[in-house]
Amino acid sequence: MGRSPGDLAIFVGRRLVQLLPVLLGVIILAFVVTHVAAIDPCPRWYPKASPSTLALCEAQFRAPIPVQFEHYFTQLLGGNWGTSQLGSPVLPAIATDAPATLELVLAALLLMVVIGIPMGVVAAQYAGRWPDHLVRVFYLSGWATPTYVGAIIAVVYLAHPLGLPTSGEYGAPPPFPQPTHLSVVDALLAGNLPYAADAVDHLVLPAGVLAFINMGIATRMTRASMLEVLPLDFVKSARMKGLSNLVVLYKHALRNALITTTTVLGVTAGELLAGTVVIEEVFTWPGIGAYAFQSMGGTGQPNFDGAIAVVVVFAIGVVLANLIADILYGILDPRVEWR
Amino acid sequence: MADPEHTSPESPARPRTRPWVSVARALRGFYRVLRANVLSFVGFVLVVAIVTVAIVVVLAPHLLVPYGATQETGVYSGPPTLLRWPPSFAHPFGTDGASLDLYSEILLALPLDLGIALAIAGFALLAGGSLGLIAGFFDRPGSVGGYTSAFILRTTDVFLAFPSLLLGLAIVAALGPGLWQVMVAVLLTWWPYYVRLVRGEVLAVKHLPYVTAARAAGVSERRILLRHVLRNVLEPVVVYFTLDIGTVLVTFSTIAFVIPGVVSYPRPPEWGSMLSFFNLNYPISQYWWEVLFPSLAIFVTALAFSLLGDGLRDVLDPRTRRALVESVAAPNPPPEAPELAGTAAANPSEGASMPEGS
Amino acid sequence: MSEPVLSVEHLSVEFQVASGRVRAVDDVSLTIPSGRVVGIVGETGCGKSTLAQAIPRLLPEPPARIAAGRVVFRGTDLVKVPRGRLPLVRGTGIGMIFQEPLNSLNPAVKIYDQVAEAVLIRQWREAGVLPTFRGGPNPFDYSRRPLPETATVLSRPIVPGGPAVERARRRLPGRVEVRREVLDFLRLVRIQDPETILDCYPHELSGGMRQRIMIAMALSERPSLLIADEPTSALDVTIQAQVLTLMKELIDETQASILFISHDFGVIAEIADDLGVMYAGRLVEFGPVAEVFRSPRHPYTKGLLRAIPERYKSEGPLAAIPGSVPSLARLPPGCRYHPRCPLAQAVCRVDPPPVLTRTAETAEGEIHRSACHFTEGVAGLP
Repeated sequence: MGRSPGDLAIFVGRRLVQLLPVLLGVIILAFVVTHVAAIDPCPRWYPKASPSTLALCEAQFRAPIPVQFEHYFTQLLGGNWGTSQLGSPVLPAIATDAPATLELVLAALLLMVVIGIPMGVVAAQYAGRWPDHLVRVFYLSGWATPTYVGAIIAVVYLAHPLGLPTSGEYGAPPPFPQPTHLSVVDALLAGNLPYAADAVDHLVLPAGVLAFINMGIATRMTRASMLEVLPLDFVKSARMKGLSNLVVLYKHALRNALITTTTVLGVTAGELLAGTVVIEEVFTWPGIGAYAFQSMGGTGQPNFDGAIAVVVVFAIGVVLANLIADILYGILDPRVEWR
Repeated sequence: MADPEHTSPESPARPRTRPWVSVARALRGFYRVLRANVLSFVGFVLVVAIVTVAIVVVLAPHLLVPYGATQETGVYSGPPTLLRWPPSFAHPFGTDGASLDLYSEILLALPLDLGIALAIAGFALLAGGSLGLIAGFFDRPGSVGGYTSAFILRTTDVFLAFPSLLLGLAIVAALGPGLWQVMVAVLLTWWPYYVRLVRGEVLAVKHLPYVTAARAAGVSERRILLRHVLRNVLEPVVVYFTLDIGTVLVTFSTIAFVIPGVVSYPRPPEWGSMLSFFNLNYPISQYWWEVLFPSLAIFVTALAFSLLGDGLRDVLDPRTRRALVESVAAPNPPPEAPELAGTAAANPSEGASMPEGS
Repeated sequence: MSEPVLSVEHLSVEFQVASGRVRAVDDVSLTIPSGRVVGIVGETGCGKSTLAQAIPRLLPEPPARIAAGRVVFRGTDLVKVPRGRLPLVRGTGIGMIFQEPLNSLNPAVKIYDQVAEAVLIRQWREAGVLPTFRGGPNPFDYSRRPLPETATVLSRPIVPGGPAVERARRRLPGRVEVRREVLDFLRLVRIQDPETILDCYPHELSGGMRQRIMIAMALSERPSLLIADEPTSALDVTIQAQVLTLMKELIDETQASILFISHDFGVIAEIADDLGVMYAGRLVEFGPVAEVFRSPRHPYTKGLLRAIPERYKSEGPLAAIPGSVPSLARLPPGCRYHPRCPLAQAVCRVDPPPVLTRTAETAEGEIHRSACHFTEGVAGLP
């Protein structure tokens, strides 16, 4: 019925093609913000720089816009993403750091799904009564907490009592090769369980804070769609078959409610990535979030090339996450035709 | 024989209700909505308290701000030993790095932060909302309206592809430091959400039977847009606006924190810049009050608006409203009420049309 | 006469709404003997669906509440059964089919999986893997028949599909058998070539087909009582006729009792043996269906029957009942129907007629009850 594997390929293919204009727009917008809209950028991007460096910078910005854009575009696509002020090239730095951020984001997503979705189910089940209120206060507090506040509180007040580390991916440099740069995965691949446990320990607080702050998205969406689904007749049918309440909720109702929850994944990715900027810096996590923090001048050493690159990379990440969410939705909802 | 008193009234031709009657009715409905949900009521009370304090601080600072006179001049003429004192009876929140009383600073920053959040959210609503209305209402494929809508949507998609914080940081980096610059930065990251939201609502309403009926009856397009579509769109938009005030505040202060010096310190007083001034190089436990109290201020304000907005959302968002009709509804009980028959099935599988989160 | 399958005694159901508590079902009593079809008829808002869903306690208990009464099903008072044990009663005890088949089948699950789920529950209960309901004063049978292959005692699997149950499944009919039984039941409801629809989703099938599947799902658990909540109201007239014919044949084949809710007299006349009429939460008349049609003993029933358009030639206005159904929050004092009743007298405004105590016996000795002070006068109404 329009859902064969061949159709799926077309479905995914069409979505990929629809990506391209957005990607192009992203590149253009990044250019506009960093080059066109810039007001006297040079002293801010190169503080304490020699006059000759400043002059170079000024010259670059005084060039006509199409020239600037051509330079920018070819550099971006050519992989020549420039260097930081100290001379370390941007592209390799981002490439090595990106998996760490991916790991952090995935861990946070996992926590959000495992904790947030059942919380949403409970809230819907007891809508209007105290479990609902409790859940709402919980996720609204997360929403209202600025990222750095949450991170700092976790570092200062939670780490010690819970015995959790607060910086880096491992306690000591790992003795095994790191093919994927995902700390837990690498340790497991090398069969080194103590290091894997250590990696998980290091992951708990940063991913936990990230998840806590963004939990509301998943929980609220689950609650709302469960509230829509629970009064429907098929839930009653499931109860009348003699299934227990848990089975009815999680196997029947949630399966329908989740369809809409996955659409939220795209927005979630954006928020999670935004959160990594501060969290990685506070927890000294070696990912591109920290790289973004430093490139934007958070530690007093801004990096123009790095900033552009990191902004584009983040945007690509969000676009990809949206794509995955879209495809997931098409798969999960049996009424969607794969055209 | 038949007793007209005890039969439900047929609906007569409805006379034109006076505007104040509808306002009174709306307020009564609003009050009932608030009462239905404990959390939204708490949020409402908090919001009212916060706004009241803000107004008082602006109009009559001497009532609430203990060290107002000194703070306003920005020139501190007291002993330098007041630098970074922990909380004491004289200074309940301690003093900060500029030797200013933290409690007063926080209170003075309240109207500014609140105003910033309201302004940003308000402008985002106006700009994004108008674009969303256009993109939704005049969206006919192949026409000028159609192309405009497509263009608006594509641009919105592009903006939405950037995580809000990052785009804000990049814009601030481009525009330079300063309060206005940061406000513009956050505004530019915020308007796309409203485009999506409003457009989604307009699309949902545009094809409702009663809109078609109005068209068939010869009502002009403009009147349809203003009276019917707008009224339906307004409810979820108000909810998101309320929620956004808190989120905008959090984002704004995060930018102020990340880029040191982007908002000047100590004038004007702003919670994010207070935190940023205390940069990460200091051990936090040593000067904990400098971190705790501004953070708490941001947290409480954002939480208040979020509580209110989320509580409102249950009732005003048309999707969740139907499901919770029991507790807030008019006296008629729902036992035979037609179920949500087809809501789950009738939603076209278009993917997300409304944004979540910020 | 053997013990009735279902005996509803003075059942009252309340809803908690913003303005207080409302009684959607007020002091309703009826019995369903084994093998009979009892129809309940009434306008929208009269409480018949609430009654139907209150019997297996399907209503969400916080806004809804069973305020009074008993629901005795095979000797057990369902009102007293704790909520956690209710799933044991449902399914093989009571089955239910609903009105809108698009919403009563899970839109995200294939047909095969849905019907197989019902079949599996029954098989597991029969094999002793799941506790069963056996009625009477000690209603739940938790005994386990020992399984030859596994010496270990199974933990209580309330949730089908747990690991303990997987082990038991080895002893149960395998996948092939389940599939065969699913196909059998689909054929039972007169679906041609059921193999073709096994992998379909509900939205891909027609309304009549979906309703048949609903019936198959309900029957595959072999319930003693089937509650049908307006099962044909959402179907086209031709499909309606097919489904009704099917149900009548199934009644003969399976000997289940049915509680059939509808607002359509024609449908009820087709299928029911006994008929109850509800108005504003109360049962105002109850008796054998032919008897009620021939000589109704309540003015409301008489008014309803008169209002059916077929009974009129195309001249003169339709004989509607004046006024409309009162809101349950603002009920008239005394008899609820008196504002619209041609027989209303002073006593009707003050004194609610005792529920269903005015009885009469038909020629065959069946009881025909109604709740009106002036039942004798009903016959004389135009």
